[in-house]
Amino acid sequence: MDAVALRWAVVRGNAEVAPGVFLLRAEGAFRARPGQFYMVRAWERDPLLFRPLSAFDLSPGEISFLYGVRGRGTRLLSRLSPGEELELLGPLGNGWPEPPGRLALVGGGLGIAALYLAAKAFGGADVYLGFPGRPFLVEAFREVAAGLRVASESGEGGERGLVTDIFSPEGYDACYACGPRPMLAAIWEACRRAGVALFVSLEERMACGLGACLGCTVFTKDGPKRVCRDGPVFRAEEVFDA
Amino acid sequence: MPDLSVRIGSLTLKNPVLVASGTFGFGADYARLYDPSRLGGVVTKAITLEPRRGNPPPRLWETPCGLLNSIGLENPGVEAFLREELPRMRALGTAVVVNVWGETPEEYAELAQRLSVPGVDAIELNLSCPNVPGKGLIGSSPAGTARVVRLCRRATGLDLWAKLPPEGDVLAAARAAEGEGATAISAANTFRGLAIDIRTGRPVFANVTGGLSGPAIKPLALRLVYELSRAVRIPVIGIGGIAGWEDALEFIMAGAHAVQVGTGNFIDPLCAPKLVRGLEKFLAERGMESWEEVRGCAHRGGIPGAA
Repeated sequence: MDAVALRWAVVRGNAEVAPGVFLLRAEGAFRARPGQFYMVRAWERDPLLFRPLSAFDLSPGEISFLYGVRGRGTRLLSRLSPGEELELLGPLGNGWPEPPGRLALVGGGLGIAALYLAAKAFGGADVYLGFPGRPFLVEAFREVAAGLRVASESGEGGERGLVTDIFSPEGYDACYACGPRPMLAAIWEACRRAGVALFVSLEERMACGLGACLGCTVFTKDGPKRVCRDGPVFRAEEVFDA
Repeated sequence: MPDLSVRIGSLTLKNPVLVASGTFGFGADYARLYDPSRLGGVVTKAITLEPRRGNPPPRLWETPCGLLNSIGLENPGVEAFLREELPRMRALGTAVVVNVWGETPEEYAELAQRLSVPGVDAIELNLSCPNVPGKGLIGSSPAGTARVVRLCRRATGLDLWAKLPPEGDVLAAARAAEGEGATAISAANTFRGLAIDIRTGRPVFANVTGGLSGPAIKPLALRLVYELSRAVRIPVIGIGGIAGWEDALEFIMAGAHAVQVGTGNFIDPLCAPKLVRGLEKFLAERGMESWEEVRGCAHRGGIPGAA
């Protein structure tokens, strides 16, 4: 179990990498496993809650988070400038398991936030990314992926279509996926038919992030589970065959 | 060093800061961040006779300075609690208060009886969960409250804290609880609220309403505690939007013997131990030995000698 800590970090950069999508970089030595997340805030009592964000990348002396502007909290994050401070609670959650062999990483939209560190840390994985609009951070993924395919619904910057159109689980030992629920369900159908193990990273609203409040519970085949503590990574059959 | 301890019924708490039911699990999660023995006590997630899986997601909805929740009593049931959780809680080094919820007064009494074991320091009767499908708030009527407390009083020798809803005739319910042998009033639970998703036009929660907590409700809870502390002779434990030591002090000045931090834990996971330090510093700086001069001072013209 990693030591969870509450600490401050100074913002180094906060670039808009696509309309409404930001890559926030902060200074500090952080240790997290691929697929783990932090509770992030940059305000006092309002908004009330931290925002759960996957650790996008870690390098010596820096951590980054990829997020989309969805409401007041993420809008406030998007206005942070270098030199301002962030409060971070983490690392939290289980993260991706050690891959058993040939690994495919499949991300849809902001779901790619949970996959970059996995591609970098595990090495040799093929990466499939899907975007509703113009793709972003593709070059960063190209540097760490064994193979990379990109789909976009408009056809701009990639193959026209959905990530489920360009991904086939044949030949892989495991697939790790993060993205909208319908995408995950479609990937699960394909993996189940091919007999390929699928792990998915889920997103829910969270209050404590630590496992205490039961605000992020999802119902699984094995009973109620906390996305923040038992997840965010689950075996697909646990979640989709419930 | 001032003496921060407070006496609630037969129980002496090392300080007046507890953490509220449903916000702190069974203590282990926050123990990754700090030692819970710094607290006056931990109130557990509500325990029911049988395990409950609770309500489907979403369960949380943030509002301005507040939080709506619709958890729906997810818990492992009393048997698993006694077997798995209580032994670990005994090692926390602080008072263990078990919050219970029953479908009927008889269920509350059975829970109180089964929880009358070493390691449980008091039982908090959750007479006010707003999030159970098809169930009203038993504690919003004095008669319902009286019946639950009466049956529990016969079932256990432990201290009974009656946790009331902030709605209904709360003062009458509190007097009824006191009359039947409750040792403290926990006031209050969340306010029933509503949020509608304007994209779908439907309530965001499957159970339609949720319970509102957080700084948004603090003045409402404080007014209630002020009135309750006059209406009953047993201690009142203040709950509602406490997120800093100044908030806790207001509740104590309104007459509370102790406070519970709930949603404040989500604003700052170190909120509760910071409260303990802040309160200690307040007493020390004013040269006060204990809570006597401060508790309820809002009813008596304030702090003696304060300009």
